[in-house]
Amino acid sequence: MSRTAAASKKPTWIALTIALVIQTGLISIQARRRIDTSFVRVWILDSLAPMEKLVDRASHGVRYVWDGYIALIGVHNQNEQLKHQVDELQMKLQQNREDLAELQRLRGLLSMPAADIGKTVVARVIGRDPARSQTVTIDKGTAHGVKPDSAVITPAGVVGRVIHSSNFFSIVQLIVDPQSAVGVMLDSSRRQGIVRGTGARDLDLDYIDDDNDLKQGDMFLTSGLDRVYPKGLPVGTIVSIGPRRGLLKTVDIRPSADLGRLEEVICLIEHSQNVGVDSVDPAQGASNP
Amino acid sequence: MTVYPVTRLSTLGIIGKFAVALIAVVVTQGILSFKFKVFGYFDLPLIFSVYYGFTLGNPVASIVIGSSLGLMQDSLSGAVLGANGLSKTLIGFFAATAGSKFAVDQPVTRVFAIFLFTLGDGLLVTILGLMVGPASGAIYSGALGSWLLSAIFNTLLGLVLFGYHDRWSNATTR
Repeated sequence: MSRTAAASKKPTWIALTIALVIQTGLISIQARRRIDTSFVRVWILDSLAPMEKLVDRASHGVRYVWDGYIALIGVHNQNEQLKHQVDELQMKLQQNREDLAELQRLRGLLSMPAADIGKTVVARVIGRDPARSQTVTIDKGTAHGVKPDSAVITPAGVVGRVIHSSNFFSIVQLIVDPQSAVGVMLDSSRRQGIVRGTGARDLDLDYIDDDNDLKQGDMFLTSGLDRVYPKGLPVGTIVSIGPRRGLLKTVDIRPSADLGRLEEVICLIEHSQNVGVDSVDPAQGASNP
Repeated sequence: MTVYPVTRLSTLGIIGKFAVALIAVVVTQGILSFKFKVFGYFDLPLIFSVYYGFTLGNPVASIVIGSSLGLMQDSLSGAVLGANGLSKTLIGFFAATAGSKFAVDQPVTRVFAIFLFTLGDGLLVTILGLMVGPASGAIYSGALGSWLLSAIFNTLLGLVLFGYHDRWSNATTR
């Protein structure tokens, strides 16, 4: 090789070495957990996420104009039907109000605590992960009280937990992520177990005390033992039970929340005093980062 | 008043354009993955690392581009910081090296390169994630299938993008 050719290749090797040293250094710092590297992530997240939010707002604006004006053609008949439905629902609502009042009276009699889940903040999902892990970006961060390990839910069920927070944005690890685990209990028998993400649409049952009485359609609720999710939130329903693999049967669980169509989510920023755990076994049901 | 030489200003302009393009790539990937679930299988930063490696003819720039794209991808995804950065750095370097030694303007070469780069990227990022993260997240059963799907989608999108690049460069050189 001529001397000029060798000299022209030198900057390439220097650049490659510098880049590899920086990236490897970042990885090894995280592996040893000696220095907090979250500032790098916070800085980049705070710089890039506003752009995602801007595009999300713009697309929402277009959809609002479409839904609010253009798509309204020919909705008169539908409007009439809906008016009838509203009348019926108002009657049912009145009935439910009476039931609720009765329930509150009975609770008062029994001195039962109200089943609220604690202090929450509503966040909007503004992005999904550009890599292969199952995460979403939300528009609430430490400034709003959202911090790592905050539980994220929807009225339908558990969504995941916050793994990184910057000032105004957070990254949420969905329960279907292969690195995610949730402490659960069976709604019917109250048996406790752990479900784990598969990276696909469904969850896997990772552990349960006794799997003999499991059946399709059984619902799993959070057990509260993992200290992340409050007790009693819907996690998912058994969709199929396969043959035994090792000690346990292969059980596929479909998440209760529609994780493919998340728009608004609720972040639990403070657990209610009356929700949670009476006895905690940290070795069981720990949710992995 | 400071007067900058024209060449310095034009260099800054080129760097600025590249920075905007790289940010756009990562943000676009995030938004499209959110709006259309199938886009989670595409890896725009990988395709652009290969694209710039093949077309720029400058290995140093390809390394910097790959490294920046990977780091931004890690920050937005919650993955181990540096995993995609390391992988995309190597992809940028190998793509630039291949670009100077092989005929990368042939579709067959491009298909082969993007496919292999995607599989290598998936494997490397997973291994680095396992080295740093908890052992529980061992390579799950669907990982290989997911990489293969990703490789196929990336190859198809890469071919389209490279095709546009060829057409555009032919039009400008005429």
